[in-house]
Amino acid sequence: MTIRNLTLAALTAVGLAAALPAGADTLSDIRDRGTINIGVDIGQAPFGMVDGSMNQTGSDVDTARKLAEDLGVKLNVVSVAPANRIPFLLTGKVDVVVASFSITEERKKQVDFSKPYAVSEVVVATTGGLELSGPADLEGRQIAVTRASTNDTLITDAIAANDVKATIVRYDDNAMTTNAVLSGQHDVYVVAQSLLVPINEANPSRKIEPQFVLRTYPLAIGLRKNEPELKDWLDNWVDENLANGKLNEIYQTYHLSPLPDVIPEE
Amino acid sequence: MLTTFQMQALLTAAVWTAGLSLIAFVLGGAVGLLIAVMRVSANRVLRGIAFTYIQIVQGTPLLVMMMLAFFGLSILGFDLTPFAAASFAMVIYSSAYFGEIWRGGILAVPKTQWEAAECLALHPVQRFWLVIIPQGLRISTPPTVGFMVQIVKNTSLASVIGVAELTYTSKLINNSTFQPFIIFSVVAVLYFCMCYPLAWWSRKLEDKLNVAHR
Repeated sequence: MTIRNLTLAALTAVGLAAALPAGADTLSDIRDRGTINIGVDIGQAPFGMVDGSMNQTGSDVDTARKLAEDLGVKLNVVSVAPANRIPFLLTGKVDVVVASFSITEERKKQVDFSKPYAVSEVVVATTGGLELSGPADLEGRQIAVTRASTNDTLITDAIAANDVKATIVRYDDNAMTTNAVLSGQHDVYVVAQSLLVPINEANPSRKIEPQFVLRTYPLAIGLRKNEPELKDWLDNWVDENLANGKLNEIYQTYHLSPLPDVIPEE
Repeated sequence: MLTTFQMQALLTAAVWTAGLSLIAFVLGGAVGLLIAVMRVSANRVLRGIAFTYIQIVQGTPLLVMMMLAFFGLSILGFDLTPFAAASFAMVIYSSAYFGEIWRGGILAVPKTQWEAAECLALHPVQRFWLVIIPQGLRISTPPTVGFMVQIVKNTSLASVIGVAELTYTSKLINNSTFQPFIIFSVVAVLYFCMCYPLAWWSRKLEDKLNVAHR
């Protein structure tokens, strides 16, 4: 899958340089158009998923709906995946992404973030009753993780920092990684804590239990750089809806736990 | 178990897979025939262009072509929908392979057939289209249909740019239900139902076209 990484990286670089004129006013474009194109990862339960009737649902989907409603425009959900969120944004295929997109220094070089509206807690989880208390216990183990996610970066760094010899096995999306863990190919899984809720509900016979937290990430709305009007509007919107409890209500519905009182800025 | 809605979604997705495959068969076949003819042409420039085209396309993974068609073209100002971009990539991809397969078929027609056609006072174009091409395509039938089966399966790569075909939809459902075995079994059966008739048709064609050796 290196070829794909390279291609995406190259396209992203070209996109950065050439895709859109600097300082475009996407906010006015959205209002003129009457529609906002929001990139949501609907393969990222419980942030984005489909229910038994194939309707899109999840906390990011509800957040996107609320955002479009408050902006007074129609919502067009564009399905994105972790590895192609930034290309979709930079090539103008979406206006913003609400796609369990965590704020990282690396991403800040390419895109802008609104203020954080939710969190993602990355944990190391295991199956079959295996107990781990920290990165040092990972010695000699195979660890399953979804490629190009912050989970991947986190565990890669944690292993290097602790000088642990472990094999990281990377899959394309959460479902693939989860399949590998559920089918018994790996017993250690680096994953967002909230994802374990629907997984364990669907597979009560092989529960995946969180062992220790790697990091709590703030999730923010991603937008292209040089969009001051849009960024201001989004920041105000996040502040307002955190203050009135709307965002917490959405989060609680799908993650079964409330947002922390203070969301870390990075 | 799958709900009726999920089953419907998979069947709809199978229609998209079939549609993408048909586009690749028909348009890819048309461009491929042109490439094959250019490839065996007496004109060195035409031969060179076709050769280069085939080398470039065969040397590039389809996955990369999909992403170039979707993200790359939009950087250049052509904003294609995912389905249009996937169709474009599939046509380019299949045309190069069809071109090469049919070139082999054309070259496999014995030289005496050219000579016999010439003796009948046929014009060079008539010789080619009426005598050589029909025989060449007949020789190429098995590899052509074999490649068509490949095309059906390779449409699954369109899932990376968000075309709601069979693989994409199955992943989407699995991402929400986490019951991979049921979903992927259903999907495997659906792909089989699309590929098996092609293989069966290929055998029928071989029997039917192989009159001379029966």
